[in-house]
Amino acid sequence: MATGVPSYKVILHGEYGVGKSSIFRRFMNDTFTTATGKQSTIGLDQSTRTYKVDSQDVKLTLWDTGGMERMSFIGSSYYRGAHAALLCYSVNNRDSFTILSQYILDIVMNAEGAKIFLCGNMSDQVDSASDKDQSNVVTDSDLEQFMSQCEDVLSGVYRVSCKDGTGLQDMFQDMARFLHRNSMSKMTLRRDLVQPGSTPEREDASGEKRRCC
Amino acid sequence: MDETYDVIVMGTGLKECILSGMLSVSGKKVLHVDRNPYYGGESASLTPLDQVYQHFGKPVVGDKYGRGRDWNVDLIPKFLMANGQLVKLLIHTGVTRYLEFKSVDGSYVYKGGKIYKVPADEKEALASSLMGMFEKRRFKNFLQHVQDYNEEDPKTHKGVSPDHVAKFLYEKHGLDANTQDFTGHALALFRNDEYMAQPCIDLIKRCRLYSDSLARYGRSPYLYPLYGLGELPQGFARLSAIYGGTYMLDKPIEKIVMEDGHVVGVSDGKETAKCGIVVCDPTYAPERCKKVGQVVRAICILNHPIDNTKDAQSVQIIIPQNQVNRKDDIYVCMVSTAHNVCARNYYLAIVATTVETNDPEKELQPGLDLLGAIEEKFVSVVDLMEPTDDGKESKIFISKSYDATTHFETTCVDVLDVFKRITGEDFDFSKVKHTDTEAVAE
Repeated sequence: MATGVPSYKVILHGEYGVGKSSIFRRFMNDTFTTATGKQSTIGLDQSTRTYKVDSQDVKLTLWDTGGMERMSFIGSSYYRGAHAALLCYSVNNRDSFTILSQYILDIVMNAEGAKIFLCGNMSDQVDSASDKDQSNVVTDSDLEQFMSQCEDVLSGVYRVSCKDGTGLQDMFQDMARFLHRNSMSKMTLRRDLVQPGSTPEREDASGEKRRCC
Repeated sequence: MDETYDVIVMGTGLKECILSGMLSVSGKKVLHVDRNPYYGGESASLTPLDQVYQHFGKPVVGDKYGRGRDWNVDLIPKFLMANGQLVKLLIHTGVTRYLEFKSVDGSYVYKGGKIYKVPADEKEALASSLMGMFEKRRFKNFLQHVQDYNEEDPKTHKGVSPDHVAKFLYEKHGLDANTQDFTGHALALFRNDEYMAQPCIDLIKRCRLYSDSLARYGRSPYLYPLYGLGELPQGFARLSAIYGGTYMLDKPIEKIVMEDGHVVGVSDGKETAKCGIVVCDPTYAPERCKKVGQVVRAICILNHPIDNTKDAQSVQIIIPQNQVNRKDDIYVCMVSTAHNVCARNYYLAIVATTVETNDPEKELQPGLDLLGAIEEKFVSVVDLMEPTDDGKESKIFISKSYDATTHFETTCVDVLDVFKRITGEDFDFSKVKHTDTEAVAE
């Protein structure tokens, strides 16, 4: 907050197992792992990267769910102050797609004003899916229909593959651009928060902020 | 449910969530359950406002007091000392990054029917109208002595050893009864006067905690999270989940299964999850707890700030027990839309104290009188429960109920004590290894 670089909180959302943590890992250090289950996500929760938008530095902080959605609810705290939600589904799992309207409702209820971006993961697996699995694939017409229903709600729609890295960095850059331009037109960032553990800024009597350096 | 865990934690109150997080970080396989469909138990913040009305059995009001969804109402009011133990726990576990805090505007103390800003350093003491001129000088010397005091260095003791009682330290500086009152209760945050006969080192440490906390962010030594205290247990639950903890809410627990005098599992009536250790709040094991007292709290909705606080948007007022002829202090905590806990132009004040009589609500009156006109009031009297054993035999470790104090110091003492009873050692903060990639990002 104190550094002056605009910063935006983006939460990952979507069904358990659609690859949210893989997206997180691509964001964090552009890696991919085939390990699954709890072990693969231990300690992963939050990561910040800087993007250039209109020649200005802009920070995105991506939040992962920590797998809490598996057996339970994520809790209202996860959504607090989110500027955006990256709503994820797997393109070869229709169930993870059809349930999205429910997640949109969650986001609208808990993170007021957050922009919603849609992300279809595992795009690399569509062509290789067997005939039996093809019926489970989310088709372009499915997507178009969904988008026409939610046109006003979605700020961006992407298709990515965490396995081969397709589309991910472009997606993050695009989100940074959208969020920053949107906020520049609104000036919604708060500046009076304190973070325990970071260098404190004391306000003196005149109300002006002092810097230690 | 039908699995084996190292530890099953029951209840998602703040203490249980901190313990769950610490145990997961320490490599234990943790199952964390709650009978309610939300996180926080007694330390939840209720939202929307109608949930508060339902909780207290009153007819709902919808958007009568601004938008109902803008309200996040704590059942147990507390602030964080900026330099206190909970903040240390938040920082060392990395949980601070999940939450947002703002400092509390003001800290006040009651004297002779009026409230005064608590003077916390020498400069403020000299400017305060709380004391006469000569008393100010004596108080300034007291603060200086406390600030310089080093337990290990006898040169700084100036004739007061750490073992001398607190009263001796006051007398050494010739402080009068009023000054002793606000020092002990509004600075050192003792709940009653028992500390007077205890070694003064505790008083010194507590005064230092207050001034060190004040030095961090300014106007008061207190912090409060945006959206209410209910955010805190959720933050620690997230920590636990990220280190492998499994969460199940809305899970009624039928019984704790025992074998040979120690716990072996927890049953929901159909399935039994096996475990070697249970951690829970007193409501999950009432037969293993005893009542040690009661707390009365009144949650009040106001449509104005509290008088004589310079329209502070958040404030704490302490009424020292001597001022109103009681044994225990009365506390007032007020928060507002500045911390995202109520609708615009409304204020949320909670008055609380330890019950001493058969008419608990009346005991709150001196606090309620300070608030001015009250739009709505919810009064509750709750039992304070404590475990009857330390859990070392039964392997059932039970936390204490949340007391009447307005900060989290006693909460943390209990948590660290339970952790030590479970594991036999202090928590190792170096085991927390979060992803912190900001440094390596371009």
